[in-house]
Amino acid sequence: MSMATLVSIMGSAFVLLLLIGIYLITRHPAKRWEHLPPVSLGVTTLSAAAFYKITALVSFTVLPVAMVNVGTYRLFEGAKEVQACASCHVMQPMVTDLYDQSSTTLAARHVQNGWISKRPCYRCHSGYGFSGTLAAKLEGYRHLVRYTTGTYEEPIASRALFDQSSCLNCHERTQAFAAVSSHRIGITLIKKNELSCLNCHGLAHPTRSDRTPDSRRYKELMEPDTTMKTNALIAPATKETTL
Amino acid sequence: MTDSNDSNEQLKTDSVVPETESIGPLYDDSPESMNRRDLLRALAALGFASATGGIAWGLLEATMPQGVVQDWRKSVCRYCGTGCGILVGMNKEGVAEVRGDPEAHNAGKLCIKGSLLPLLNKAPGRLKFPMIRKDGKLVRASWEKAMKLVTSKFRRAIDQYGPNSVAYYGSGQLFTEETYTANKLFKAGIGTNNVDGNPRLCMASAAVGYTKTFGKDEPAGCYEDIDHAEVFFIIGANPAECHQPLFERIKARKLVYPKATIICVDPRRTLTAERSDLHLAPRPGSDLLLLWAIVHAIVEGKLFDEKFVRDHVAFQGADGRVGWEGLRTFLDDYTPEKVQGRVGIPAAQIRDVASRFADSQATMSLWTMGLNQRVDGVALNTTMNALHLITGQINKKGATPLSLTGQANACGGVRDTGSLAHLLPHGRLVKNAEHRAEMERLWGVPPGRIQPAPGLDAVHLFQAMGRGEVKCVLNMCSNPGQSLPNLGAYAQGMERSFFVVADAFEDTRSIHYADVVLPAALWIEKEGVFGQSERRYQLVEKLLQPPGEARADLDILVDLAERLGLGNVISAKTSAAVWNEYRELSSHSKYNFSGMTRARLREHRGLQWPCPDEQHPGTARRYIPGDPFVPAGKEHYFYGKPDGRAVVHLIPYESRAEDPDEEYPLILNTGRILEQWHTGTMTDRIAPIRNGTPRGHFEMHRYDAHQLGIGDGNEVEVQSRYGKLTGICKVTTSPLVGTLFASFYDAEFPINVLVTDKHDPISKQPDFKTTAVSVRKLG
Repeated sequence: MSMATLVSIMGSAFVLLLLIGIYLITRHPAKRWEHLPPVSLGVTTLSAAAFYKITALVSFTVLPVAMVNVGTYRLFEGAKEVQACASCHVMQPMVTDLYDQSSTTLAARHVQNGWISKRPCYRCHSGYGFSGTLAAKLEGYRHLVRYTTGTYEEPIASRALFDQSSCLNCHERTQAFAAVSSHRIGITLIKKNELSCLNCHGLAHPTRSDRTPDSRRYKELMEPDTTMKTNALIAPATKETTL
Repeated sequence: MTDSNDSNEQLKTDSVVPETESIGPLYDDSPESMNRRDLLRALAALGFASATGGIAWGLLEATMPQGVVQDWRKSVCRYCGTGCGILVGMNKEGVAEVRGDPEAHNAGKLCIKGSLLPLLNKAPGRLKFPMIRKDGKLVRASWEKAMKLVTSKFRRAIDQYGPNSVAYYGSGQLFTEETYTANKLFKAGIGTNNVDGNPRLCMASAAVGYTKTFGKDEPAGCYEDIDHAEVFFIIGANPAECHQPLFERIKARKLVYPKATIICVDPRRTLTAERSDLHLAPRPGSDLLLLWAIVHAIVEGKLFDEKFVRDHVAFQGADGRVGWEGLRTFLDDYTPEKVQGRVGIPAAQIRDVASRFADSQATMSLWTMGLNQRVDGVALNTTMNALHLITGQINKKGATPLSLTGQANACGGVRDTGSLAHLLPHGRLVKNAEHRAEMERLWGVPPGRIQPAPGLDAVHLFQAMGRGEVKCVLNMCSNPGQSLPNLGAYAQGMERSFFVVADAFEDTRSIHYADVVLPAALWIEKEGVFGQSERRYQLVEKLLQPPGEARADLDILVDLAERLGLGNVISAKTSAAVWNEYRELSSHSKYNFSGMTRARLREHRGLQWPCPDEQHPGTARRYIPGDPFVPAGKEHYFYGKPDGRAVVHLIPYESRAEDPDEEYPLILNTGRILEQWHTGTMTDRIAPIRNGTPRGHFEMHRYDAHQLGIGDGNEVEVQSRYGKLTGICKVTTSPLVGTLFASFYDAEFPINVLVTDKHDPISKQPDFKTTAVSVRKLG
């Protein structure tokens, strides 16, 4: 079951409970609020007891629970979006490169050729299944702490091992992959992450020297041309294919 | 004073009895107590939250999977002449992983061989101790004993038969410091020009070609030209397999510039051919005709660059300089119509290629052994350069004739140090008296020490060994027992001479003939400089200890020099000291790289010469502004020639290569495959490569196989004028009809026993590409 389905089922259940609560409150007003005047809401008029109880319910229960849920959902789901990664400015060069049509990095090619057009950061940088999701979130948390505490230097470099099962999940079973003898020779080491796919297929992102402040490309990577960005964003979304 | 319990009580009462007056005073009376409590609570909560967050962060930092590497060190790949920058991932057990260096010219790309370098130094069969042959068997000996024997044999031969009775046979894989020292030891110390090596089999024709055309060896352009080219003319090369990171760069160019076109000229349908836009398959041995026909079409179609030719090009005929008309007359024999039958490519297609080549923003040619290992190798090289000169497709970004090399240090280590029988350092020639005198002065040896006649080149050296004229040979980092052509004939030479082999691996075919075996350090077990195809010098630092008693080749050479009493000639005894001597030497030439200090090489991903001072960034493209030897105000200047003009050599096609006949109806072509390198001494010991590549075999076109009744996988016997070899035959469509292909990496399948030792008359480079053979099905 996907996270989105889970959240929508729980949300529906919560709304149902809320409606039951409101119904019960309106049917069983308490005696001691009777001296207060009823409250008119325009479409209907509620007794004071019903009104204040509903207000209390919404303020103390509904809103907090909803906020926690929505917040968590936004955090967990939103963190999968490119924009979430781009919110730390040190990630901007990677994002700029994704949509740079003159780029030949693996990330740019995967996005612009429509191989992975949705949530490309997350698609490659998270492992398979629940443990993969968890590991990616924890790694994201680590990045967040590093960023907010300022314990990083530009150009950033990920210390974490990139799990190449992200590559193999799509590519390994294809005929094109099997036809390359170098893949047959290297597959054991590739699976152990001891032989990098990048060795033959090139860089995934702009080099560290390009991402170093004051370097030749730094400015263009940090301040991308926005028109280029939207064009590229629209185009590939329709062509995503599964390999 | 009210205590906290009371205040709580009071608060509870408040809520029930709102009329009470005591609320105000309560707060007023004990503000500190309440605040401190709240503050502590808040602080505790904050502390707890921070601690949880902090501990979680710490745990994550500590447990994050980082792979097996502890330390990444910059280095250079051990194998081919692409000279890829790599990052060596080290841990306690040695090399754990190798990555392409993203900051190097190869932009992080390697091939499978480079990726599997972690398995190289620990591959089985490393030589750990010196060995001396006793009663036909190699037995372990001490360094002292082995070196004493080597010295006494060399000493006796020199004393008894003169210095030309000894020789050095080296490699394009030793470090520059090592080859330079060997060259100096033999030419200026011992006094023989018998210094040659496997680069003679590899790029001698390219070196002669550049020198004849530009007056200076080594290419004008660089790899970065790939990023600017519009047309790639790849002839006699298979970069998709043999220089894979460069082909990836070409593919990247096509990605961002879809107009880019790849033209591949190769009699075999290689991986490169399959990925090209246009594949021309000329009959083996006929491509000089093709090149001149392309020139003809360019001239006839007025596609040449008139201004460039007028200002910067000269024409050299058989009897001296000729003019434009001389070229036109010469070309009369090479109309596309006249050659199309022999070449096997229609005249219209020749004209198509001519127009694509000439009429593009920037055309880049790439070639390697397909042009070099040929009886007309020099002519093919000069004609390739001529194509670029006549069309003006040179001296601008993306337009250049670039010869690729096969070994990691054939350019820097052998061509530039002048470690071939006819050369002296930095483009000087043995036969030039001024050059000899200058080198004697720079090396501080007595005038006349360097002999005036060139020494023996590879083929003639092994012939002389066979005749007993050369008594002692020091063979370093090369496997002539598998790589020489006409192997059967030359094995005799190795048998007959006192043959010393310094190598990293035991049991190579050359070691079968060795009288003394010296264990050598391999790759990052020693320090030194590699120079690749585009004049880039890169430092390889020592990261590992050699196994057993193995020593760096430089140490072996220095030891030999001292034992021969030539320690004063070989005065620089460490890699860094040799480098400084050699760097200083370069300042007396147009190679000047005196700005490439060891410290700069440690810091940079290599530097390209000329690089005359320590602030100089290096020279990507020669003969144009930016090259320190081009005078200000000149747009182009070929300073290797006295008049500054590059020379088009009008060398006619002569049918010297073997042609098929009734007895030997097929042409055998040899070459490399992606995963294996050269004679397989290294790659064929790396288990995943060995298990993942087929054993040596023949490849035949199915048309021929059908004629001969040969099925895929049948055992066949192949016979040439030089020898006989049996092997498995794979039936494919990749070799041209009428040809056969085989690679030379399998020691059990020594294809070179079949290969002709015919060679180019000028470069002396043998022809590994055109041997007439007959094929018979066995069983």
